[in-house]
Amino acid sequence: MTEIQHGTRGEVDPAAPRQSPSHGGSRQRGAAIRRRASARIWPKLGRFGLFALPGLVAYVVFVLIPIGMTGYYSFTNRNPFNPPTKWVGLRNYGDLLGDQEFRQALVNTVIIAVIVTVFANVGGLLIAMLLDRPTKLYVALRGIFFTPVVLSAVVISVIWQAVLTDDGLLNSLLRGLGVDHPPGWLSDPDLALYSIAWIITWQMLGFCVVVYLAGLQGVPRELQEAASIDGAGRLARFRNVTWPMLAPALTINTVMLLITGFKAYDQIQVITNGGPGTGTTSTMAFQVVQTAFNGNHIGYSSAMAAVMLVLVATVSVIVLRLLQRREVTQ
Amino acid sequence: MRRSIVFCLVTTLAVAGCGVGEKPAATPASGGKVELSFLVFETPNLNAAFWDAAIARASAKVPGVTIKKLVTPNVDRTGYAKQLDASGHLPDILQSVNPAGFAEAGKLAAFTDDELTNFIAPKAGAVDGKIYQLPYNTQVIPVVYYNKDAFAKAGITETPKTYKDLLDVSAKLKAKNITPFVVGGGGADTWADMYPLTGTVATDVYAKTPDFLTQRKDGKVKFADADFTKAAQKVADLAKQGYIDPAGLSRSYADTEQAFRDGKGAMYPMGSWFATSADNNKPGFEIGAFPWPSDDGTPVTPTFTGGGTSVSASAPNVDLAKKWALAFDEDKENNDAFVKLDGSIPAIKGYTPPTDMGPVYQATVAIYQQGMKDNSIVNAFSQETGDGSLPPGLADKSALGVQDLITGKKSAGDFASYLDDQWAKATQ
Repeated sequence: MTEIQHGTRGEVDPAAPRQSPSHGGSRQRGAAIRRRASARIWPKLGRFGLFALPGLVAYVVFVLIPIGMTGYYSFTNRNPFNPPTKWVGLRNYGDLLGDQEFRQALVNTVIIAVIVTVFANVGGLLIAMLLDRPTKLYVALRGIFFTPVVLSAVVISVIWQAVLTDDGLLNSLLRGLGVDHPPGWLSDPDLALYSIAWIITWQMLGFCVVVYLAGLQGVPRELQEAASIDGAGRLARFRNVTWPMLAPALTINTVMLLITGFKAYDQIQVITNGGPGTGTTSTMAFQVVQTAFNGNHIGYSSAMAAVMLVLVATVSVIVLRLLQRREVTQ
Repeated sequence: MRRSIVFCLVTTLAVAGCGVGEKPAATPASGGKVELSFLVFETPNLNAAFWDAAIARASAKVPGVTIKKLVTPNVDRTGYAKQLDASGHLPDILQSVNPAGFAEAGKLAAFTDDELTNFIAPKAGAVDGKIYQLPYNTQVIPVVYYNKDAFAKAGITETPKTYKDLLDVSAKLKAKNITPFVVGGGGADTWADMYPLTGTVATDVYAKTPDFLTQRKDGKVKFADADFTKAAQKVADLAKQGYIDPAGLSRSYADTEQAFRDGKGAMYPMGSWFATSADNNKPGFEIGAFPWPSDDGTPVTPTFTGGGTSVSASAPNVDLAKKWALAFDEDKENNDAFVKLDGSIPAIKGYTPPTDMGPVYQATVAIYQQGMKDNSIVNAFSQETGDGSLPPGLADKSALGVQDLITGKKSAGDFASYLDDQWAKATQ
């Protein structure tokens, strides 16, 4: 019988005599390899599992179980103030199709996600290129640009509310410059959504800067020099050398920004409460919370949350795949 | 090795299990006392020091109780109470939380008639005849507070008696480049925009149909009916004429109050709780007060009576919690503090407010007393609790709809239809 040598990493000894290539023998050999490999892996997994266990349990308890419960509730009419809870099948999802408020929230969410993704990416890249110098001043500036990322969204919202209200800093400045009727950044229904998108963009800018800076610092100097010697100008060097090398950074930033945009809630809750007016700045996440805790319709809001989960996951996976393909081809 | 894995598993599961869903059992505090959680909210008037002192006074009267104070993240205490309830952590005692929904679901303990003997309106806010929130105070909503200097500057010598007078006064103010009304409602304080509508609904709807919301519940009337639409149209017209500045929609409640103090408008329709704030923190001008006028000048006084404490039916010791809640709401010093800081008009038998109250509070109480004398008291729209109140969530939707009225995004008819749609959704 062919003997499989047990190396420390479980490889088959190349010096061992080969068995005839019959199907039965091959199957037996495969099974034996799997059995022995598995016998060696479990003790190691046990050790790693010990470290992973708290995180795993927390993940199951705080993420997977709530997702499962949300999925279950979405098929019920659960209302804690109007028991009993009954199974309603797909009715909540059917109602969502005709829900004007949810549609408006979906549109608002997409607008925020697109604005945040585009402007934070572009702004982050420009700032990263400006800060890509080794002096102490630029190192300090990097820290300053990153500060909003580590602040809570509520703190950011309170700060920007003070800036953007009609009596706020920005309009006081504009009035000082002679603008008699400065815009109602938060009180004008046509502007409020864009103000919210701007605030989220501003907060995420630092994140993009750091990721792009890391990418820029990974671009080999020799490639830039070679391109220069070949006569490439600054723009051509960026287009043909730097930009392709930043593909992984673009992937990370785009996916993170899309997810952040789709999840927008805190800023709306603090700054506009979904207004001014009905649905002007309401997002999907905001609509979920309002429906659940103001209207008490937990079942219906769970259906909204399920749709949101599927939408965010689908868009993220598609964008991730597309951008990763770009990384490979480049 | 195996023992450590088992230890880790048990510890992790124990830690993860804590705080998930189940409310902890009654916590005996030190000395055999029962610990009860008490949900309060902070405002510019009712700050942390006020609540701490009031809690200490009630606790001194009820031995065996230790109070754990919980503070809502904003003034929407009902919304926060619902979130706590959803996670199985409804506080044992709740301050000024709308009992609608909680009461019907059996989550609150009803007060008995014997427990309510000291209250002037013991049946205010009843749900199926039972009281789940102590009716400890009355508020007039709205009172129109006005800047006497601005009125004088515009040559206005008398406060408006009819709605036409109000429009005339507004026109004169505007002609002098003074914004007639300060109306807020920014940030999480959307509710602060409701008061002009609460006024017009009182004069145009509730004066004729005092049980309008009960009839709406029974399907006998609709918001889209002529009276309610007219009330909404009045608010839309005030904004259209430039008498309400839409800029206020970005101001929080505190900023709105400050805007009035800063002279950014001449009239401030607000709940009577503003009175003592005006007295305690006087702006650089005199403040007067008048009731929201009706078309023909017939007095109509929208009020809300209730707003006290409620007790969770699952409190570790319901009787003790009710005893503490009653002590909290009936305590003379607590009521004095509510009067002095929040312009409260206590609805406790035999209670007399402190004699050193300021002129704005006195003017506010005079409006209420005149309303009692005229028999012109009606409900304050969107503030109601109990059977004749809006379904859960609809007060917030109304406040957002009022923003649409003010910005012109919705006509009065659209707004009324929107409320009918939202009512149908909320009661599905």
